Amino acid sequence: MTVHEEVEQIILNALNTLNEGFNDADKITVSTDTYLFGKKAQIDSLSLVSLIVELEEQLSEKFNREIVLTDDRAMTREKSPFYNVQSLKDYVVELLTA
Amino acid sequence: MYTGKHVLITGSSKGIGLLLLNHFLANSAKVIGFSRNDFVHQSADYEHFKVDIGDAKQVSAVFKQIAKKYGHIDILINNAAVLTSQYAMIMPAGNAEKMVQTNILGTFNVTREAVKLMRKNAYGRVINIGSMAEKLEPIGDSVYAASKSAMRTMINSMAKELASFHITCNTVGITAIETDMLNQLPREKVDPIIKQLTIPRYAAPADIFNAVDFFASADSSYITAQTIYLGGIN
Repeated sequence: MTVHEEVEQIILNALNTLNEGFNDADKITVSTDTYLFGKKAQIDSLSLVSLIVELEEQLSEKFNREIVLTDDRAMTREKSPFYNVQSLKDYVVELLTA
Repeated sequence: MYTGKHVLITGSSKGIGLLLLNHFLANSAKVIGFSRNDFVHQSADYEHFKVDIGDAKQVSAVFKQIAKKYGHIDILINNAAVLTSQYAMIMPAGNAEKMVQTNILGTFNVTREAVKLMRKNAYGRVINIGSMAEKLEPIGDSVYAASKSAMRTMINSMAKELASFHITCNTVGITAIETDMLNQLPREKVDPIIKQLTIPRYAAPADIFNAVDFFASADSSYITAQTIYLGGIN
């Protein structure tokens, strides 16, 4: 499994776990196209925060190094890394390979 | 009362923190404590971490150890605080900064990490130890009183962020009690303040335990962003 695939799997798993806690009416379809932030966001801001916290923990454990997703690099980008699953995956891989 | 609960107390090595530590241990909790100094407690149900809560990196590192060993935190008591009581015009800048760093940012640093562990269990009780100084605004306590007010505002704001995780955040605004911190203050200054309280006496440990236990109770799940002031302060 490549790093891209591993990261994607971790994100999708975390999103599925988050989704399990939603009421039926609020459940979302989880895929690489799921929007996380911005006008098209399918989850609210607190759910995104919860997802980020969960991912930071899981990614840090999986790759045995501290992964911080919300530092200045993420916050100052023109296009948010949290826009959708795909952009988040790309950002995490970028952090891991930096 | 607290069987199976993991309780984290900041400033646990002395004063009210030590009283609360012994209270929670006496009621069957597992207790984790923070302070800037080394501290040994005889109980096997207590573990101490030497940490400056004003240093976010230190706090984050300690919480990694706690997460591995304990998995979750049920109750956080934000007790650690520093106090310099001095007229504003002659307050050393460093002392003022230390109060802000420890009382406000330190509380933030610890709470931020603790609620990440509470989130996993979808359960948590965050309890700030506030102060009568916030309400009474006594001479010499300008920065200290402001820092306690900031702690309350901060925790009430967090309460809104954390309600969906079933984490409550409340404050116990205590009056003066016999502690090391009180001993830093001249009694001729504190005694008149105590005499003006609705219930004009110093607090006893049991007064504080009673309010803390109320907020810490599993039954208090519908009570958040609230402050109980002891002694009739309002």
